[in-house]
Amino acid sequence: MEDLGVIHQLIVPLFGYEMTFNLEVIAWTWIVIIGLLIFGYLAKRNRSIVPGNLQNLGELFINQFYELTEDALDRRLARKYAPLICALFMFLLFCNFLGVFPHLGEPTSDLNTTLSMGIMGFVIAHYVGIREKGIKAYIKGYFEPIFFMMPLNVIGELSKVISISFRLFGNIMGGDIIVLVVSYLTFSLILPPFLIGFFFIFIGAIQAFVFTMLTLVYIAVQVK
Amino acid sequence: MPIEGAEIVKAASLLGAGLAMGLGAIGPGIGEGLVGAKACEAIGRNPGEAGLLTRTMLVGQAVSESTGIYSLVVALLLLFVV
Repeated sequence: MEDLGVIHQLIVPLFGYEMTFNLEVIAWTWIVIIGLLIFGYLAKRNRSIVPGNLQNLGELFINQFYELTEDALDRRLARKYAPLICALFMFLLFCNFLGVFPHLGEPTSDLNTTLSMGIMGFVIAHYVGIREKGIKAYIKGYFEPIFFMMPLNVIGELSKVISISFRLFGNIMGGDIIVLVVSYLTFSLILPPFLIGFFFIFIGAIQAFVFTMLTLVYIAVQVK
Repeated sequence: MPIEGAEIVKAASLLGAGLAMGLGAIGPGIGEGLVGAKACEAIGRNPGEAGLLTRTMLVGQAVSESTGIYSLVVALLLLFVV
């Protein structure tokens, strides 16, 4: 129970400010990135008409998310943004599954990771909106029903970032803490593997999917 | 044994964490139940669209869950930070 809420930080003083690095989270994120790169390389290596195991898995990811993107956006935009959506889902899924391994944790149980993903989705959604509709129609979208609804629309857009990132962070971190507390109470007998299966595998997959779908929906709302 | 101010603050934060979690879980419970019930009705009426309906149901449930997650974050802050 002592390691509950303990974060190992590297604090670097720089011109009177203090830069804080969460070393464990950085290491876990790099593990996820390298794992994804290895997965991509192995899935691509022996390409054939009859796909092997890893190629099948890769095709599954890409087909599913291409169809989802095509449903939400149109065909031309889907060709452009389906790789982003697919990569986002695979990154978040691997992140959430990393907590299953001993001595590792999820990078998404740190608010910095989820908030940066949320801000990335926000910036991309507005970039796509400006690019597809033009700057005039984009700004006009804020004054939509009546002109004095503008502050509410701006706050609504900003609160999307907060809600999407806190949802993922809260789910993953809450699961972490519940698993830790129940393991402590039951002396790590019987119950923890099932809890890990539920919270890390099931909730992790659902939340990664929800994060990806919401990013896609935010892009689609800006385009329409 | 005199009770000091810091202990009262600690007790209040623990009580607040329990209240935040308990009251905050009511809304998402009702909301997710409603979403699940409606999705079951829709699947019963139109079983061919079960995949799309399940996907939409999961996204809707996760969105309605977010207030519960906020209360969880507030409860964790009260437990570990205050």
